[in-house]
Amino acid sequence: MTRILLIEDDDGTADEILLELAASGYEAERAGNLALAGERARAAAFDLLVLDRQLPDGEGLALLADLRAEGRRTPALVLSALGSLDDRVRGLRAGGDDYLPKPFALVELIARIEALLRRPDDSRETRLIAGPLDLDLLTGQATRGGRQLDLLPRELKLLDYMVRRAGSIVTRSMLLRDVWGYSFEPNSNVVDVHMGRLRRKVDGEGEAPLIRNVRGQGYVLDPAG
Amino acid sequence: MSSILPADPRARATWRWGGALAAILIVQSLLLAAVFWALANGSHRRAIEHALTDDCTFFALTPPVERADELRERLSRDIHRDHFLGLFDGRGRLIAGNVARLPAGPTAGSFVTTVIPTQLPGKTSDEARVTICRLPGDMTLLSGVDLDDTEASLALVWQSLLLALIPGLGLAIVFGLVAGRRAARQVDAVRDLTRRIVAGDLRQRLPVGSDPDSFGMLCAHINTMLDRLEALVAEVRGIGDDIAHQMRTPLTRLRARLDRSLRDARDPAAFAEAAEGALEEVDALLGVVAALLRLREMEDHARRSRFAPVDLARLVDDACDLHRPLAEDRGLVLDCAISPAPPVEGDASLLMEAIANLIDNAMKFGPPGGRVGIELIPHADGGTIRVSDSGTGIPPAERAAVTQRFYRGRRQVEGAGLGLSLVKAIADLHGFELRFAEGRSAVELVCRTPR
Repeated sequence: MTRILLIEDDDGTADEILLELAASGYEAERAGNLALAGERARAAAFDLLVLDRQLPDGEGLALLADLRAEGRRTPALVLSALGSLDDRVRGLRAGGDDYLPKPFALVELIARIEALLRRPDDSRETRLIAGPLDLDLLTGQATRGGRQLDLLPRELKLLDYMVRRAGSIVTRSMLLRDVWGYSFEPNSNVVDVHMGRLRRKVDGEGEAPLIRNVRGQGYVLDPAG
Repeated sequence: MSSILPADPRARATWRWGGALAAILIVQSLLLAAVFWALANGSHRRAIEHALTDDCTFFALTPPVERADELRERLSRDIHRDHFLGLFDGRGRLIAGNVARLPAGPTAGSFVTTVIPTQLPGKTSDEARVTICRLPGDMTLLSGVDLDDTEASLALVWQSLLLALIPGLGLAIVFGLVAGRRAARQVDAVRDLTRRIVAGDLRQRLPVGSDPDSFGMLCAHINTMLDRLEALVAEVRGIGDDIAHQMRTPLTRLRARLDRSLRDARDPAAFAEAAEGALEEVDALLGVVAALLRLREMEDHARRSRFAPVDLARLVDDACDLHRPLAEDRGLVLDCAISPAPPVEGDASLLMEAIANLIDNAMKFGPPGGRVGIELIPHADGGTIRVSDSGTGIPPAERAAVTQRFYRGRRQVEGAGLGLSLVKAIADLHGFELRFAEGRSAVELVCRTPR
């Protein structure tokens, strides 16, 4: 089972996150201050750290930097109420693998956690298969159960991204960041319209829908349909 | 030193002013007296020496037999009795005169010595400036002037100096008091006002005369600072009010929705529906919060450190690609005209966010079924991104207001009214210009790397 150490001092936030992590099938443990967090992180093998920046006994990034200096490579997701991008850069420099500014939606948090826990993709792979989907990235051809999907280049990239993360929630901002290469929170539903088109092409009439909309936040590609 | 001075710094200033002035006055008086004394004494001495030399010349020219009579004649004419004359023979014996004997000394020039007067009652010695000269016929003449006069005039100088110094010192202290009081009054006025300003009354201003001195100019500068401060505080208050209003409507809706569903919902499906509605409201609120945080972050100017060359053509092309399906869904035509342009220094994600906001506005505010144009017009050091729609555009009177937070020209359109203010903030961060085209509905982002 995947073990996550949550370092967060606010009880209400911590409880919500712990419940959500448990519901998503993770074994989560909480540390409310840096001293305890440092002790636990060194004592037990965790697969992921979720770390708040402002803790009663200091700056979360300092602990992260210490752990990194000791050679501990446990992936870390940094949370912070400091919404500034400068802080984000500092967070990533201190050894954070991703940075999520508060307030965030729990779905977004779970999606980021899943993205961090997944093994790095073999990006040299040119043929992707997920359930009935078959993508040939060399020729740009995609089929579902033998049916040719007539995808535009951008739609192929979107599907490629979804297939590589099959079973995990992918949020709009992740799509915008990783498929288009721009990181911001769009006002309009630009990404949804693109996904809507892709879904109409992938999930034909009478077929079980492979791409599911997760209310409010993002999408999941479920190869089982 | 400090123990004898009053503890109040203002009173101390008074003493300092007065003391400094008194010291200056004393030094000045002493200098004046010294100079006066030196000059007057020199002139007096020259007059005496002249007279003594004249005596020598006169007696040298007088035949030796007449000298004693002449001398007695002269002494009898000296009603002030301040002259000493003595005629001595070759062996130093007195022939005639009012001094007992010939003092030792040079026979050229004058010198001060003690003489023994013989005709001054009650005096056996006296200070005098004398000259001794050899006369033809083996005689020696002593001619001298009593220095009592000179001593008296020196005493007079000192007396007048002291007499003048006392009122001078008094004046210095009075001036110190007046100057100190005046400075203290000004400081008091400023202190009083700053206390009121600190207490929150930002409308207070410091007094500035019509012809201000340096202190008045300082006050004028502080007033300018206060003007700016007052404007900023008003702005912050306005933003606070805006945020409160912006949040209150959705929060009220949210509360009503939850309240109603708690009362009315009977089955899980109804609860789920209510919860979903509530989530949407919360997401909208979080969107406002996130947008405000981003605005603050833009205004912090901390992001410049991440600037890198941005290919404007690719940026605009990506923006078109991103928005085309949305435009088609809304029945709008998205026209993109892109020419290659030199790269500019910037943050691609922020610039994309700005363009996305401009396109979003054009799609919202343009007429249904209209056309949204996105152009990249290159220039030597960058390019202008023009986003236009076929609507009426922003009236010139509203143009300054639309870039402020929460301004919404046409209230029936959804959105928190933070879009253009964010675009403006991003443009400012880059040193780019955001402007409204004349005579058509278009907004231009002029991207030039500032030199």
